[in-house]
Amino acid sequence: MVVRTYDEELKYIERISDCCWRIKKGFQPNMNVEGCFYVNKKLEALMFEELRNSCRPGQTGGFLPGVKQIANVAALPGIVGKSIGLPDIHSGYGFAIGNMAAFDMDNPESVVSPGGVGFDINCGVRLLRTNLFEKDVQDVKEDLAQSLFDHIPVGVGSKGIIPMNAKDLEEALEMGMDWSLREGYVWAEDKEHCEEYGRMLNADASKVSMRAKKRGLPQLGTLGAGNHYAEIQIVDEIYDKRSASKMGINETGQVCVMIHSGSRGLGHQVATDALVQMEKAMKRDKIEVNDRQLACARINSQEGQDYLSSMAAAANYAWVNRSSMTFLTRQAFAKLFKQSPDDLDMHVIYDVSHNIAKIENHMVDGKEKKLLVHRKGSTRAFPPHHPLIPVDYQLTGQPVLVGGTMGTCSYILTGTESGMKETFGSTCHGAGRALSRAKSRRNIDYTQVLDKMKEMGIAIRVASPKLVMEEAPESYKDVTDVVNTCHEAGISAKCVKLRPIAVIKG
Amino acid sequence: METFEIKTTFLIVGGGIAGVSCAENVSFMCPGEKILLITESYLIKAVTNLRCLGKMVQSFEVEEKEVKDSKLNENVDVLEDSVIQVCSEEKMVLTKSGKKIFYSFLCLCTGAQPKLIQQGNPFIFGIRDTESVLDFQEKVKSSRRLVIVGNGGIASEIVYELGNIEVHWVVKDSFISSTFADPGAAEFFQKKLEESEKPGKPILKRMRYKGESMTSGSLKGAALGPDWHRKIDISGGKSKHSLEIHYKTEVSNIKSTENEEYPLEITLSNNKVIPCDFLVSATGVDPRISHIPTDVSFELGKDGGIKVNEMMESSVENIFAAGDVCCAGWDLAENWFQMRLWTQARQMGAMAGRSMAAKFKNEPIYQDFCFELFTHATHLFGYQVVLLGNFNGQGLGQDYEILLRYTPDLEYIKFVMKDGRLKGVILIGETGLEETCENLILNGLDLTPFGDDILNPDVDIEDFFD
Repeated sequence: MVVRTYDEELKYIERISDCCWRIKKGFQPNMNVEGCFYVNKKLEALMFEELRNSCRPGQTGGFLPGVKQIANVAALPGIVGKSIGLPDIHSGYGFAIGNMAAFDMDNPESVVSPGGVGFDINCGVRLLRTNLFEKDVQDVKEDLAQSLFDHIPVGVGSKGIIPMNAKDLEEALEMGMDWSLREGYVWAEDKEHCEEYGRMLNADASKVSMRAKKRGLPQLGTLGAGNHYAEIQIVDEIYDKRSASKMGINETGQVCVMIHSGSRGLGHQVATDALVQMEKAMKRDKIEVNDRQLACARINSQEGQDYLSSMAAAANYAWVNRSSMTFLTRQAFAKLFKQSPDDLDMHVIYDVSHNIAKIENHMVDGKEKKLLVHRKGSTRAFPPHHPLIPVDYQLTGQPVLVGGTMGTCSYILTGTESGMKETFGSTCHGAGRALSRAKSRRNIDYTQVLDKMKEMGIAIRVASPKLVMEEAPESYKDVTDVVNTCHEAGISAKCVKLRPIAVIKG
Repeated sequence: METFEIKTTFLIVGGGIAGVSCAENVSFMCPGEKILLITESYLIKAVTNLRCLGKMVQSFEVEEKEVKDSKLNENVDVLEDSVIQVCSEEKMVLTKSGKKIFYSFLCLCTGAQPKLIQQGNPFIFGIRDTESVLDFQEKVKSSRRLVIVGNGGIASEIVYELGNIEVHWVVKDSFISSTFADPGAAEFFQKKLEESEKPGKPILKRMRYKGESMTSGSLKGAALGPDWHRKIDISGGKSKHSLEIHYKTEVSNIKSTENEEYPLEITLSNNKVIPCDFLVSATGVDPRISHIPTDVSFELGKDGGIKVNEMMESSVENIFAAGDVCCAGWDLAENWFQMRLWTQARQMGAMAGRSMAAKFKNEPIYQDFCFELFTHATHLFGYQVVLLGNFNGQGLGQDYEILLRYTPDLEYIKFVMKDGRLKGVILIGETGLEETCENLILNGLDLTPFGDDILNPDVDIEDFFD
């Protein structure tokens, strides 16, 4: 790898607009296309500081700064357009989280990379609206939060709210939200407001390993799992009244519920299995990449196809999970407010995927091309009149749901025409952080502990912060900065701001 | 005596965590079937305050409830009785009160009993269930000096919670809490032991049933819940508090003395003699099976427990076993091993329940994924402690590396690494790394490229592997 000083590195990065920067070829070896990233003033400082720190002597760890990761992705075979970094970008396995990249399906060299999708496949967000207002829930929000995921209702549907045995799971993996619909947990119209109608048709459960399936089944019959959570949110500000009203949001103070979840351990196992397979395929097909974490396979190879089929199955499973949580949410509200979910107008506004790869048609250099679009920590944001968005949103553009980290604000954005041109119809997904200062000033002293552990006769290494950090106290990328950057850049438009009043952990 | 005959689809013996989890799961899977739970005590255990710390590791508390107050589903009947004979040929058990119970599927969850270093001595206590804790609490109040033997969770908890009494803690290792910790973590804990101020705790109401005589309940009731000690004030009244830890020693002799100041005299392997009021033996448990005669004997595992396969089936047809009484007899996953803990009692009970239900319904199921990764969450010395995988390098010999991050009074993180892969983890304090570590162990990713930076405090790995 080339070792350059920070000043030398900066020669490869050039501002192209107020909030967009270009990464020129040569920044990393073998770049097929240029890279770019979107930042406002505040995020820009964080982005460059991260690069500067990585240029200090001795900083050649496994954690590359976002800009380097964008450039490494630009060196993957078959990539078209640009390797794009969104404002919430932060360091991730292979691809940075917040990096999107598209590959030409008609180029036999083109690859698919599990690192470009992420481990938590189809991790995403769903938003439900209600016709309640803040005053209606203020006094009961704790009860509501408590009852939301308390119990799995017994005797509803034939198979329980989430697949519990081998056969149910196989079906759910292949059917996605159609499984939830068949079992009576969602409404038919929920599917309309979901990317891919909540089901990827190329899913093949037989391509999902036994270990992945076991890992995906809920442990001990509980719903609970680490990354499942929901928030009761209040409409705080409406930026685009017309689009908001298409979504059934008419006034500030209105209550919504945002559900975050993904494919549990199943996605992790699918990704891991694929990484192992692809390392072999890379040797066979002599695919070279800048970073071992960018393991990939040709889209048309067996490994590539197997991954796409198993990834689709994992994506389907994530939709089943979000649907189960939707069902529980509706039940809890109905019980507490003694009205049916229908009377409470608890419709799904939309459901977005943050970690996924999909085949889409886009214009590249004036020609329509079939592309495999990797979105990792990035949301699809299709413009008005796009054929793949539901009829309700044909005039507004696709709703984009952006959740902050737990407890901060969230936003609804809409897709734009310029986003379609610039970023293959993609925008941000949330807040970002991977390198943080929070812990580095701790007083760490190992002497005593190491003394005690010597007797064990085991090699011991210790972790410590290596750099004296500059002034910036936090590297946290605030969701408001992130969303504003996307709005200014025109790759999506702000529509509604939501603030949480209660968080429910699954 | 008149004999009652009862028929049930599922029969579960034992009102501890394993038995109750088993009943809950069967009832969830087969809501229309008859389920009978036999318990030796009016009190049964219920898991409460379940918290998911990761996708797999969960912490919970255990509450004892009177049978009539328990929230078991309607199709679960609870019978206070004990089994005296299992007739597997007839698929029937006989009970002490003379009932004949016919079952389709039987699950034994009869738990374990403490290994006492000396049986039958009134000055030697084994701590296992609520009864014995309450007796212990009484005993401490009127005592000046006690000796605790054992280096596991219960011993550590007692030592930390004791007040106003002179404590001698006898451990066979060179560091404390060896069951759950390593020498480094023990050093981290040591600071807490030196603190004298402890937060006040809620008073535990005696959950004793009315009108019963004070039996020495140590064999009867089911085992204690995790964190029992946080609710029970165990302070002596007689003495200034002090703690002396006797490392690398064992008890070599116990002498009951009469007409001396202290009723017991303990001699340690280093020849030190400690006169004391009583001794607490917290040196582990043995599976409790010998008291149930069966017509066909069970195949037993290495540790004397009922050997079960991955579906929790014993060697005898239609008889399952779960919890402390059983011995995991399947091919163990790389990062899982058996330890007689709350966590595993609950997991095994649930697995047995689901497995019985699946067999009844003739449905294929997988072994639960929780048996792929050892997980345990507890509190020691006032800190949350999460153990994952081969957290002390179990089964790895000397052929592994340790990567540490340690901040006094805040956190202690230990990664056990072999060939660049994460094999086990100890997380002490609020680290927020539980789920990430589970995934790193299960994924088996090569972490070599990250080097020591994987625990660099400047990097949030929880966001990296998303």
